[in-house]
Amino acid sequence: MEYGFTTAAYVVAAVLFILSLGGLSGQESAKRAIWYGIVGMALAVVATLIGPGSGLWVVSVVLIGLGGAVGWQLANRVQMTQMPELVAAMHSLVGLAAVFVGFNADFTINMVGEAKMTGEAISGDFAMLVAKKTPVEIGILMVELSLGIFIGAITFTGSIIAYGKLAGKVDTGAKQLPGGHMLNLAAVIGSALMLVLYLGGAGSWTLFVMALLAFFIGYHLIMGIGGADMPVVVSMLNSYSGWAAAAIGFSLGNDLLIVVGALVGSSGAILSYIMCKGMNRSFVSVILGGWGGTTGEAAAVEGEQVSIDADGVASALDEADSVVIVPGYGMAVAQAQGNVAELTRRLREKGKTVRFAIHPVAGRLPGHMNVLLAEAKVPYDIVLEMEEINDDFPDTDVVIVIGSNDIVNPSAQDDPNSPIAGMPVLEVWKAKQVFVSKRGKGTGYSGIENPLFFKDNTRMFFGDAKKSLEELLTRLN
Amino acid sequence: MKIGTPKEVEKGEARVAMTPDSARALQKLGYECMIQSGAGDAAGFADSAYEEAGVTVVKTADTLWKNADIIAKVRPPRETEVKKLTEGKLLISFFWPAQNEELMKQAADSGASVIAMDMVPRISRAQKMDALSSMANIAGYRAVIEAGNNFGRFFTGQITAAGKVPPARVLVVGAGVAGLAAIGTSTSLGAVTYAFDVRPEVAEQVESMGAEFVYLDFEEAAEDGAESGGYAKPSSPEFREAQLAKFRELAPDIDIVITTALIPNREAPELWTEDMVKAMKPGSVIVDLAAEKGGNCKLTVMDEKIVTDNGVTIIGYTDFPSRMATQSSTLYATNIRHLMTDLTPEKDGQTNHNMEDDVIRGATIAHAKEVTFPPPPPKVKAIAAQKPKPKVKEKTPEEKRAEEVAAFKAQTKSQVTLLTVGAVLILALGLIAPASFMQHFIVFVLSIFVGFNVIWGVSHSLHTPLMAVTNAISSIIILGALIQIGSSSFLVILLAAISVFMAGINIFGGFLVTRRMLAMFQKS
Repeated sequence: MEYGFTTAAYVVAAVLFILSLGGLSGQESAKRAIWYGIVGMALAVVATLIGPGSGLWVVSVVLIGLGGAVGWQLANRVQMTQMPELVAAMHSLVGLAAVFVGFNADFTINMVGEAKMTGEAISGDFAMLVAKKTPVEIGILMVELSLGIFIGAITFTGSIIAYGKLAGKVDTGAKQLPGGHMLNLAAVIGSALMLVLYLGGAGSWTLFVMALLAFFIGYHLIMGIGGADMPVVVSMLNSYSGWAAAAIGFSLGNDLLIVVGALVGSSGAILSYIMCKGMNRSFVSVILGGWGGTTGEAAAVEGEQVSIDADGVASALDEADSVVIVPGYGMAVAQAQGNVAELTRRLREKGKTVRFAIHPVAGRLPGHMNVLLAEAKVPYDIVLEMEEINDDFPDTDVVIVIGSNDIVNPSAQDDPNSPIAGMPVLEVWKAKQVFVSKRGKGTGYSGIENPLFFKDNTRMFFGDAKKSLEELLTRLN
Repeated sequence: MKIGTPKEVEKGEARVAMTPDSARALQKLGYECMIQSGAGDAAGFADSAYEEAGVTVVKTADTLWKNADIIAKVRPPRETEVKKLTEGKLLISFFWPAQNEELMKQAADSGASVIAMDMVPRISRAQKMDALSSMANIAGYRAVIEAGNNFGRFFTGQITAAGKVPPARVLVVGAGVAGLAAIGTSTSLGAVTYAFDVRPEVAEQVESMGAEFVYLDFEEAAEDGAESGGYAKPSSPEFREAQLAKFRELAPDIDIVITTALIPNREAPELWTEDMVKAMKPGSVIVDLAAEKGGNCKLTVMDEKIVTDNGVTIIGYTDFPSRMATQSSTLYATNIRHLMTDLTPEKDGQTNHNMEDDVIRGATIAHAKEVTFPPPPPKVKAIAAQKPKPKVKEKTPEEKRAEEVAAFKAQTKSQVTLLTVGAVLILALGLIAPASFMQHFIVFVLSIFVGFNVIWGVSHSLHTPLMAVTNAISSIIILGALIQIGSSSFLVILLAAISVFMAGINIFGGFLVTRRMLAMFQKS
């Protein structure tokens, strides 16, 4: 290659990206690692600008600057509760960019083909690269760019719908057009057909049709998935945006794109896997929507939910030595993290042990709860994962469940016929006393009754989480 | 309406049905409270404490019975007291209606309503007013304390400079509320505690309290304790034999026996026979909580403490709750207060005697000139039906080892299969794909491996920053657009320019928001 320097810069950038992901293994090292990522990206862009991307570089710099300004605004304005939406929205941009770059590659192939026929001069770095390829390589290039367009298009519409659902702009229920997944299947088959036609030389229109079909798949697939499964969806789209980048990297012959695409793709895939394991569901069943089939009648819950007022909770907290708080999506909805943090601070001042138990699928984004609590200045070393804290519940005096439901449902362990049987749950009912802050008597995402609420050691603290906690804070002296 | 509590007339009864605290809560429900002077003295509540809580203190019982609309007391009323009941009044106390039919009839005829605290049904909702349980809890605790008082050794084992002391061995027969309380007290004093109950389903509760459940080698269709409202039923003769044989085997080693076995409306079953008493060591203690119903040991004398010829002390007191009057009054008064809360749904100081309510209906034995005992079965079953529990067999070390080996083999197999399939696929690809493609492909596969290894190490709490940062670096796609933007075609330039702009948003937005998030994570 003519650009030895650029390739060298790419190597350094790739190493920096790997280090920046690896640094996320701990809170402190992560603060340093983020700079590796930033430097890596700057290096890659600058090396490209002075190397193979030097054509129209002024325009490029201006556009990056403009985009950067928009990104800066977004990043500084976004509320931490809106993180899931932001991440989904940003995925859509990567998806669309992949589609555009893919189309450009196709146009360039056509251009080069025409230029060769007419004997015109070829201008542009990428065009030069294409011109050197053999027919077999061109064929592979076409497959690669089609894949890039296909995955990018699904990522684009899928992310937009995910964004809409997370932001509450699209109905969060699982909705599908009549025909359901058969429509998706038809669209996939159609896309495969278009690919074959395209390779056969049918022209660029096949790519357009394929992109449209992929747009439809992205839209329809995500529309059919309910709100609480969004952690899996967002991770999946994260993964797709990586694979799209990798496919484009192949078509452009750019190793850095391939490396980063593969890193991002595997990261998203692992996150999806962790989320699915957290719900004891297979990836396919999440994507196809709905819970797995049950094998029999689920046990009916008998008893009564006993409610309690702020005074009762306050006096119980007063007597408790160890307290565990289990936050869920309800806390994010009610924006109650500030009050939770204040409660934690007050209890800790009194010398009580306060810890947080985070289920892997709590919230709408992997790690969502951790970020919210961190924002409210809850120290991260008292925020524990499910495996770390599950054995400690029998020795805990008071558990406060705030806006979570299915993740603390004992039927997952007790009732083999329950739709959520086998899902790992936080064993809060083993604690001496459990308070559940909840808006009303409704069921959780899975739509099943939670026997925890009927247990003898459970008291329901009904009301909006934020208001309830405010009231509780006034009672604590 | 006015709630009044007279002084208990029963000799030796130290409890009182209203405490200053419960009076405050009752006043919140809208009631006026009054108490007979000196009623709380024996339980440690002085008249002045009641006055402070806003309770009217009246001199004589007569004034109280005349003025109060609701009378709350502990012991069943005497005939003289029932005579003071008039139309519209409500009496709340223990009553034992099955034994006191005459009295019940008399009370019903007077037109007053009577709620018997001992008839509160055993359903979850009524637990807060279940006075039998709260009194049994105290009895169980006190039984252990009383046994310790008469036992010449430590409960807990000790190794001292003066020699080694073995721990006391306690057997609790009957793991109901009293039994469980006794188990809890005994284990926390440090004694080695065994417990037995005819309902095998309570074994788990017993073990959770730190005692060892005594299992019988006896096969019988598991009877469902839920059928009888959570109380024990008489057992078959064969079962009884097996049980006695087990006790006989245990007797010589046990220092303290606490029997709590009662069957509703029957004489207490004999569980600790004379020969077992004889087999016990001198100095051992038996506390028979069933003394009132004839005793689980036939040597027990009701309300007395005796010492047998071989030096075994048998305690047959029946007034354990009264011996801890402050505690038991507090709990009993709270039970009454909860009952009043259910009777006063509007919190306006007016009772609403709702005979449709399972709990109120069940506990009411006289209402509107009618005897309403026995009550119809409650609509809600007392306790959820027990599900048969599959027995988890303890695995031997060999089995465990074999399992581990099998798991390892299976893992190796699946890994080797995956690798083989993967290798074959890649080789097949290599046959058709040109070398230039394979060069990139190597980079791709290796990157996936690196990615998987790195990402598994990421802390769960940082998954959101991980998504944001991968989002930022996935805008590396900008490189593609940058390379293409130098094209001669306007369309290509336009699309590339838009891509550069979008990727620019992502790069800055993604990195900045990640940095913002990470900065928030603080150590305590």
